Amino acid sequence: MYNIISKTKYAYAFSIALTILSVLSISIWGLKFGIDFTGGTVMEIKFSQSLPTNQEIVGILNELDLNSLTVQGKGGNSLLVSYASADDSINQEVWKKISGKYPEAIQSKVDYRDSSVSTELKQNSLWALFWAAVGIMAFIAFAFRKVSRPVESWKYGAGAVIALIHDVLITVGAFAILGHFKGIEVGVPFIAALLTILGFSVHDTIVVYDRTRENLLRGSGKEAFPEVVNRSLNETLVRSINTSMTVIITLLAIYIFGGESIKNFSLALLIGVSFGTYSSIFIASGLLVTSYELQLKK
Amino acid sequence: MTFRQKISVKFALVIILAIAAVLISYPKAVSKIPPVYSVLEKLKINLGLDLQGGIHLEYKPDLSKIDSSKIDESMQAVQDVIERRVNAFGVAEPTIYTTKSGSERRLIVELAGVKDINQAKNLIKETPFLEFKAEGPADTSKDIPQEMLDTLNKQAKQKAEDLLKKALAGDDFAQLARDNSEDPGSKDNGGDLGFVKKNTFVPEFDKVLFDGGLKDGEVYGQLVETQFGWHIIKKIEQRGEGDGLEIHSAHILIAKKANPAPKVNYVATGLTGKNLKNATVDFASQGLSEPQVALKFDDEGTKLFAELTKGNIGKSIAIYLDEQIISAPIVQAEITNGEAVITGNFSVEEAKSLVKRLNEGALPVPINLVSQESVDASLGGESLAKSLKAGYIGLGLVVVFMLLYYRFLGLIASFALLVYAGMMVSIFKLSGLTPWQITLTLPGIAGFILSIGMAVDANILIFERTKEEIRRGRTILGSLDEGFKRAWTSIRDGNISSIITSLILIELGTGFVKGFAVTLIVGVLLSMFTAVTISRTLLKFILGEWISDRLWLVGVKKSEIMEANKK
Repeated sequence: MYNIISKTKYAYAFSIALTILSVLSISIWGLKFGIDFTGGTVMEIKFSQSLPTNQEIVGILNELDLNSLTVQGKGGNSLLVSYASADDSINQEVWKKISGKYPEAIQSKVDYRDSSVSTELKQNSLWALFWAAVGIMAFIAFAFRKVSRPVESWKYGAGAVIALIHDVLITVGAFAILGHFKGIEVGVPFIAALLTILGFSVHDTIVVYDRTRENLLRGSGKEAFPEVVNRSLNETLVRSINTSMTVIITLLAIYIFGGESIKNFSLALLIGVSFGTYSSIFIASGLLVTSYELQLKK
Repeated sequence: MTFRQKISVKFALVIILAIAAVLISYPKAVSKIPPVYSVLEKLKINLGLDLQGGIHLEYKPDLSKIDSSKIDESMQAVQDVIERRVNAFGVAEPTIYTTKSGSERRLIVELAGVKDINQAKNLIKETPFLEFKAEGPADTSKDIPQEMLDTLNKQAKQKAEDLLKKALAGDDFAQLARDNSEDPGSKDNGGDLGFVKKNTFVPEFDKVLFDGGLKDGEVYGQLVETQFGWHIIKKIEQRGEGDGLEIHSAHILIAKKANPAPKVNYVATGLTGKNLKNATVDFASQGLSEPQVALKFDDEGTKLFAELTKGNIGKSIAIYLDEQIISAPIVQAEITNGEAVITGNFSVEEAKSLVKRLNEGALPVPINLVSQESVDASLGGESLAKSLKAGYIGLGLVVVFMLLYYRFLGLIASFALLVYAGMMVSIFKLSGLTPWQITLTLPGIAGFILSIGMAVDANILIFERTKEEIRRGRTILGSLDEGFKRAWTSIRDGNISSIITSLILIELGTGFVKGFAVTLIVGVLLSMFTAVTISRTLLKFILGEWISDRLWLVGVKKSEIMEANKK
């Protein structure tokens, strides 16, 4: 049996450091929002023979006076052109210019969002996060409604919520860093990833807490609370790691082989799920013991 | 039935389910039995546009001028019109529907396998928006109040009187005109109006000039008030006699201040393109000149048009096409036959193309493209191939992991997992036969692959628990029962949180998220069944006391049990 609870202070230090780092990078750089939230157009263009340089494309589109135009290579014979677009006629003009110069080129992918749509997506996303938080908390309250001694049931809920905020903050922080240094943008898929992480993080924590509760109910009372928690952690440790392993295996498969469009989505999930496993082992249960010890001191 | 028989029946059912799942998800397995194959082969997964290539367009109708009770009707009309246009374009399976997004309405057009995206878009964009508007109350909000006008005009008249005195006193008339006249046409020539015949000017002016008895070079002794303002009139000379009499004059005008004539303010009448039955090209005069467009309304439109014309006799009704006024004829009489004519300066070609557009349907409200997602078919195919590869690799690795770690139990779990995957695919295929067809998108596949990883979680929970119970010294079958029983609450609670977030994601409603969330939620629910029921039935059927001597098969060491027993 590993004495995991005794290592709690290291886990706290590690998590607090990561959380501060995340909050800092979020507040300094913020997330780099994609067209889902800013409005605009992203056009992936496949050229048949020689790939024009980015400058050539910028030159062709010069006349149109596009706002925040960027052109980047996308591997193979494709270029990614993105710009702010007030309405759809701009997209038609852009394409007219490019296909005029390169008649063989095809539009592999075009995503366009009007500003009204992006505003709406932003609002919907915030609401989704809000309702997910409410729903998860209601569920946690429900799942831990039975009072179990010696720690009150709401503290289990609070522990699960803190672990969950921790997982989400670190994922968002990671994408703030990735956005700043790698230009990775976040859109609606990122919100989907965050919500999935919310669900997964709670799922993991609940399994560990469930076992703690069971052991407390069945326990002889001889065992001290921190020991019960530690034993429960050990008993669920293999399951926690194995479950995360299978999920991480599938996510890695998606990340490596699944193609460009869902790469960042699976990356967000990978980060969130990994930290979700970590936090349900080291943080969530640690918090129970910490609150118990604070209670004793009183 | 004995316990053993019950298990046997259940086992048989599981096997049948597994075979059905295999057959539906992978019909090639029976490609040697043509009748079965041909039936099964018809079941297809409905692939999303991101996987088969296509275009997803979202239009926002401008409903601001529509009465809220008529919104549903208008949206239906918009959908019908666009449907007709798209069908005329000949796309294989267009999907056109309207959605609500908060308080807003949207029209969604999904076209699979369209080669020329811009052509499709233009076709929809060209759908005419036809609207009839009637004169509304004039807009007087920008008018100058009457009292202020009165004051201004008093000052103007005073100025005119001062000028008249100067002119009568012999000041240079031309110079006075140049400095003071407010008639832009004549002031620069010193107020000179040239020779005119009688009845050229407004009556008040005319009377003074022709009947005022002025001598050449004389300034009329009083101000002459006309609709334009106050005139100081000077006769310069005359020529001709009788009807040929022409008088050369000059004037100084001090203009009257008045509000501009009210502009006609047209308001919506409810009569729009949705009431149009058909349109034809017509010619105003005999022969082939002056083409015009004749409209025929449907019953509702005929009624509306009759009311409209009845209530607006002597006034104009404006016909707006794509929000531009194209003609505004004055109503002469009530029109009850439901026919109207658009005269405009059409060429024959323009009239013909307008008629064609109108006959394909005219919109009751203008629509605007607000969102587009289009994927080229080859890119879609590439995404499909890549994501399937990721799925096979993911599934394979999870199976390998489970076999290595849980050995015999892992084999059972892997079998349950394969049945799970087969059943998922079957559900996707069979959903096409129900009204709740599931469309598999790229994020949907991602959700599916992720659900494979999550599906074995239930098995892991159960097996870990079972192993624990074995170590505690229970019999294998007893441990297994205990494992399933104890793990169930965790499985249920854990999955509820995933279901909550998936439901919220479905509510969030955009394409990407929906595809992901739907497969995830179906996956979570189904995996609870496969991981628990299927693996339990299999284990109960296969396992017996024989395994007690081969505990390595379930990954438990004998020494561990000894230790537990010693305690």
